[in-house]
Amino acid sequence: MNSLRKVWALGLSLSLFAGAGVYLWAQDSNRPTFRVKVDMVVLGFTVTDSKGRYVNGLKPSDFRILEDGIAQKLNTFAEGNKPVMQVMEDGTMKPLNPGGDAEKAGPDVKSDAFVGTNVFVLFDTSNYMYRGFVYASDAIADFVRGLDRADSVAVYTFSRNLTRAADLTKDRNNAILGLRKAVAGDDSALYNGLLLTLRDAAKVPGRKVVIVFSNGPDNASMVAPDDVRAVAEDEGIPIYVISTAEASRDAISSGVFKRIATRTGGKAYFAKTWQKQVEAFESIREDLGNSYTVTYYPQTNPNDGFRKISVEIVGDIGKKYRVRARPGYRPSRGF
Amino acid sequence: MRLLLLWSVAGLVGIANAQNLATQIRDLEARGNSRAARDLLAEAVRNAPGDPVSLTFQAEFLDRHGDPAAREAYAKLLGSLEKSGGDRKQTARRLVLLDLLHGDRAAATRHLAIYRNAGGQDLGTAIPEAKPRTAGQEWTTIDIPGPLRSFNRMAALSPDLPSEEILPALARNVVTNGYQAANSAEGLEQTEFLKLVVRYLAQARELAKLAGEARKIQIDQCESALTGDLLKVLGYRMRGACGAEVVLETVNASRAFLTIDSGFPLAELETALRSNRPFSYAYGSTSVPILYNAEYWLGAKEKVQGEFIDAFLSDPQLCRLYLGVSKLDRETADIMKAKIPVVRLKAFSHVLDFFGGMFYIRDGKAVVPGGPKAEAIWAELAGAPPSDPAAFFERLVAKDDGWLCSYFDSISRISGPVQEFLTQPARLRRYYGAVKGRLTSPGPARPVFRANTDLLLLTTRLRLEADGSAHVPGNVEIWKNLFVKHPHGKYDGKLTKSAVGWKESDDVIEALFALSRKAVENEPLRIYMALSDMNRRRAKPLLPATVDRLAREYRVFGAQYPVLNETPRLTDETILAYLDLLTAEASIRDQGVRADAAGTLQALVSFWQIFLRQGSIPEADADKVFNQITAPFAKVKAERDVFAAGMDGVKALLAATKSRPDVSPQDRMLDLLAGFDAEMESEAHISLVQDLMKVFEAQRLVSLKALSDLADHLDAIGKGAKVDPAIVARVAQRLADVQLPRAGLSGVEKNSLVFGYYAERHIENQRKLNLRAAIERAAGNPERLAEIKGSLAPLLRDTLVGLNYAHYAPPGAQILYTNPIFVRSHDFLGMQGANQTWRQTEVVGTGWPASAGGRLVGSLVSLSYALAEAEQNFLIPSREQALIWGDLVPQMVQSAKVPRYWEVTPNQMHFTALHLRYADALLAEAALNEPLRTLVVETLQQQAPPARARYVGRLLAEGELGKALENVTPAESFVLAMRLLAAGDYGDKDLAGEIRRLAKAAPEVVNYASISRLFGSPKPTLTNSYLPELLYLRTFPTLMGYSSRVMAESWESSALYYASIANALYMNPGQLNVVIPEWTRSTVERIFATHLEDWPALLRSLRQVGQEAVNKSAKVAPAAGLE
Repeated sequence: MNSLRKVWALGLSLSLFAGAGVYLWAQDSNRPTFRVKVDMVVLGFTVTDSKGRYVNGLKPSDFRILEDGIAQKLNTFAEGNKPVMQVMEDGTMKPLNPGGDAEKAGPDVKSDAFVGTNVFVLFDTSNYMYRGFVYASDAIADFVRGLDRADSVAVYTFSRNLTRAADLTKDRNNAILGLRKAVAGDDSALYNGLLLTLRDAAKVPGRKVVIVFSNGPDNASMVAPDDVRAVAEDEGIPIYVISTAEASRDAISSGVFKRIATRTGGKAYFAKTWQKQVEAFESIREDLGNSYTVTYYPQTNPNDGFRKISVEIVGDIGKKYRVRARPGYRPSRGF
Repeated sequence: MRLLLLWSVAGLVGIANAQNLATQIRDLEARGNSRAARDLLAEAVRNAPGDPVSLTFQAEFLDRHGDPAAREAYAKLLGSLEKSGGDRKQTARRLVLLDLLHGDRAAATRHLAIYRNAGGQDLGTAIPEAKPRTAGQEWTTIDIPGPLRSFNRMAALSPDLPSEEILPALARNVVTNGYQAANSAEGLEQTEFLKLVVRYLAQARELAKLAGEARKIQIDQCESALTGDLLKVLGYRMRGACGAEVVLETVNASRAFLTIDSGFPLAELETALRSNRPFSYAYGSTSVPILYNAEYWLGAKEKVQGEFIDAFLSDPQLCRLYLGVSKLDRETADIMKAKIPVVRLKAFSHVLDFFGGMFYIRDGKAVVPGGPKAEAIWAELAGAPPSDPAAFFERLVAKDDGWLCSYFDSISRISGPVQEFLTQPARLRRYYGAVKGRLTSPGPARPVFRANTDLLLLTTRLRLEADGSAHVPGNVEIWKNLFVKHPHGKYDGKLTKSAVGWKESDDVIEALFALSRKAVENEPLRIYMALSDMNRRRAKPLLPATVDRLAREYRVFGAQYPVLNETPRLTDETILAYLDLLTAEASIRDQGVRADAAGTLQALVSFWQIFLRQGSIPEADADKVFNQITAPFAKVKAERDVFAAGMDGVKALLAATKSRPDVSPQDRMLDLLAGFDAEMESEAHISLVQDLMKVFEAQRLVSLKALSDLADHLDAIGKGAKVDPAIVARVAQRLADVQLPRAGLSGVEKNSLVFGYYAERHIENQRKLNLRAAIERAAGNPERLAEIKGSLAPLLRDTLVGLNYAHYAPPGAQILYTNPIFVRSHDFLGMQGANQTWRQTEVVGTGWPASAGGRLVGSLVSLSYALAEAEQNFLIPSREQALIWGDLVPQMVQSAKVPRYWEVTPNQMHFTALHLRYADALLAEAALNEPLRTLVVETLQQQAPPARARYVGRLLAEGELGKALENVTPAESFVLAMRLLAAGDYGDKDLAGEIRRLAKAAPEVVNYASISRLFGSPKPTLTNSYLPELLYLRTFPTLMGYSSRVMAESWESSALYYASIANALYMNPGQLNVVIPEWTRSTVERIFATHLEDWPALLRSLRQVGQEAVNKSAKVAPAAGLE
């Protein structure tokens, strides 16, 4: 019986660490089991007009964020790599100051956590990439060089196993150093690698994205793409995929790439040439620079399954614009 | 003894006080509170600074625990003794050995002088000087273009390889991966791997030319003329003008690939060009040691062709010869080189490669298995006497396409009575006749991997009766029938005929030898080994009728025999009843019911195994409980029977584990699976329960309590009670969480799901189950309510199966956390017609899009291995270019998850660790004491191949203790200690004395049989059992087919080593349950192996992880009193 108390105590400490909105989920009355944790939600999205051009300069009052139809109160707001603003009760904004307002904004908000994006590049070094390996490496190097100064970047590679070629860093040289040390591998376990990358990314506070550069085939993964996509969805990490022309001829690969990108708020690119790959990276960079990031603590919601998120633009202009965001998430169960 | 002397010197501390302190220390150690003992000693030292008695206690205590502070403590003691005029001899002696173990020669020399001045004689006069290992006539060098680091990357060689291991490792990679059958003609062509190595060498030569005599690529500024030349060789060009804008981009993809793949510092070059700073990179050829010299290996034609490395890469047979000779003991190799022309050796290089490792010459004679009494027969078989070793080995490799050599190797690897048995002259000749057969081609060394697995297994696992004859399960008649009537098809025409006349056990064994050379599945040997293993621990062997049935049913149910081998207490009746049950299960028509029944039964049986292993079910009750959980399944016809049998099984298990009647079955099951823990309070136990719960939650399984409550409630409703929505909701809510394989699969993807139809249906049925509506519709009708209870059977199956998955979940458990239907997807039927219900657990569906995520198929019998296999590629190698070692890792993970350490006493853990400590001390002493060195090497040779054992001897003689230790595995150290402790008074007397004291104090607990069970590993392929044990085997070579698992199972070092680390960290044995899986994970992630037998790479990684844990702990809590 004593052991039950200890387990409970551990559960409690987890919940305190997790922040707000925690409640108990238990099948049995005797032993508290696992709790559904609802941490602060980080939501990134882009707004484009009818011609696909990014719409900038919108304010928190221009949006309504709904979870399962329940309106949410924004905590912070940021556009591109501009400084993070705290959203006040009256809807006005003021800059988030280190050590001061950051605490007021919530336990999970650090002053610099939302400045810039944490970019995880996942580079396929399996046999399938043998021919395009060096061109891909060049394109990724260009992308890393061109990232906004505020962004951090990590370079991971995968074949049968994942390798952390360069840990998350703001130093571009370090990232490129890691990238240029990549070694060609053997089998391809793309979705295993993507899952592990997402797990790492999830540990980092702030805005993050994963960019996958792969030809597509996977002959070694144990997890299904849509299970991995669900993890990205739940963690709020958009996945961008850059693939080659061959992948677009593979109906399953291209379908999965499109689906995991769309459902997580990212994009899929099928680049026929090296130049197209560079353009795809350029497009991602633009996406990152033109996206909005908001945070909020969800309002009380009995649904501990999939919670649908919708971002609405208030007023008539909303009809002209298109919002791209992840469709929802499942609250964490603590593993 | 030393303490008594000190007491007379110190005088200040009374004998009573010292004895009191000693008693307190031992009590604390025995209770698992060694850390408190350490603190108590530190306190004693603080209270009486300079007191030799306290200092002696402290130093010896720290030494026994392998605490890094021990040396410092001894140094303090030495200082104290010097001041007090005490006897410094023993302290100085121990310090000499510890200094050597720490690689501190200067201190060792200093302390040796003190030791000798104090009258010590047995450690020689000086510390031996370290010499370069490659010095001497047998080694010269060859050049490889470019830096070694780059070459290693291209040739897939670990950067950790000692220099003299580079060419053998390269040779092995060329032999195994360098060539493939040519499409167009007979013969071989280079693989892409080797082509790249060759292209790299060409590029390296160009770069070396650019580097010039200065052996340095020097670009002083971006606009230098050399920049263009260098970039051209590298396959890159500059985009943008010199300065901040410059970017290097690919212009020649082939060259650029080599540049990146070989690890040329391209990023540094680019940075230098962008910042217009000089770029400097040392670049020249690398000298690599070669055995003998290049001329010895090359023929006249090759000599004129160019560098050695080119000739080497272009000749796989030469590589194989080099590999074979490098495995030989040096003395043996030298004699063979002197007497046998290289061309002749090359013709049999493949045989030498596989089977030469056990060749060994002593006193001018080839050492043969069986010793002098067998020499004549070996001479007869080979055609040359062992007294002429070169001729003997030459004939041995040449004879019968390598079969004789393979036979020699298999028997050389074993020792003791079985070797004696096999080398009795008549038997040696007879069995070899069977192995050789009529046609000797193809030989056992033709393939890239050994094909003599069965021979090795047979000689390793052969069991003798008390009268010295070979054990034959049942009787000869059964085996005769098996061959003559061959219920599953003829094994061998000749044997079928000869079996009619079989009369004695030798006839059966001869047939097994004959079959062991066949390349096809050797079912009789598998049956023999399985049944022989089942008899091994039984007080009375299985009855002939049982053996007969088990032999006949092996093909269908053989994979389940390890279950029946979990305990020797299962009676023949129980075993036969279980076989009846399995047969009856197969006749259940409804596939869903059959899968649920099989899954539920197997999950319960698996719990029974776990609880027996963990001591939660007493051995004496094993048979009774097994019957209680299995018998109800004999009546299964429908789902309601499955549910009833499943719940009855759970109740039987809970009762057998002394559970309180009112306990929640879910909570109790979690506690039991986490492991029996007397106090149930420890953090280790709670941590394990948490891990189990996480997996259970991730899989959205329904708790046993919720199912049990609902079942009881349905009964109550049938008797007129009102429906309690809360009880129903607890299950219904969980079902709402169940999902099909992730929604959104396209039609094409769904069509690609070629298997698992019934697993899909199993999940779909749960999704459709609407409990509330069903209960309403039943309207209190008991029959319809019973049907509803039956619909809970699939849920119960998943819960029980899921708890098993959670128990064996490998560290990280990514699949279990990510795929919420992984447990529910377990396919107990398999593909149509495959009948996999009772076969091994297999991982299928690896690699998308062939499946929507992998799943497990088959029974639960090898669940621990299958889960480890499925999860292994989620481990992240910490070294650049390293990959997870697929043939080894699942067994390593399984060995970390199957054994639990709740029953280990602190003294047992200490006893184990002391053996490794004592072995280290023995090796250190052997470096200074020649007679002991000879004994150590001879003893080591019983475990390690002769070449390695003698190499260790040479290293010790050269004072290279650190390197010698790197070549001895913890399992070998353990056996070395065990054997020398039994042989007499060798090595460190304090450590030996402490080991003996522990064994004497509690002989029923602290003994080698217990240590084997507690720190052994499960070896289902070798022993047909999941019961952990130590077999003290030589590590096996890479074998073909299913036997690749045998190689991994022969590694017995991990738990022994981890126990020594836990001892050094003053841990309670219960903590091993948490740290061993984590340390295993770290060990696996750090391995950088070059090939499939790269045990040194594993050993390096193991030691690194252990050392880091010790260093980390020393930082956090330095030894009190020594800060």
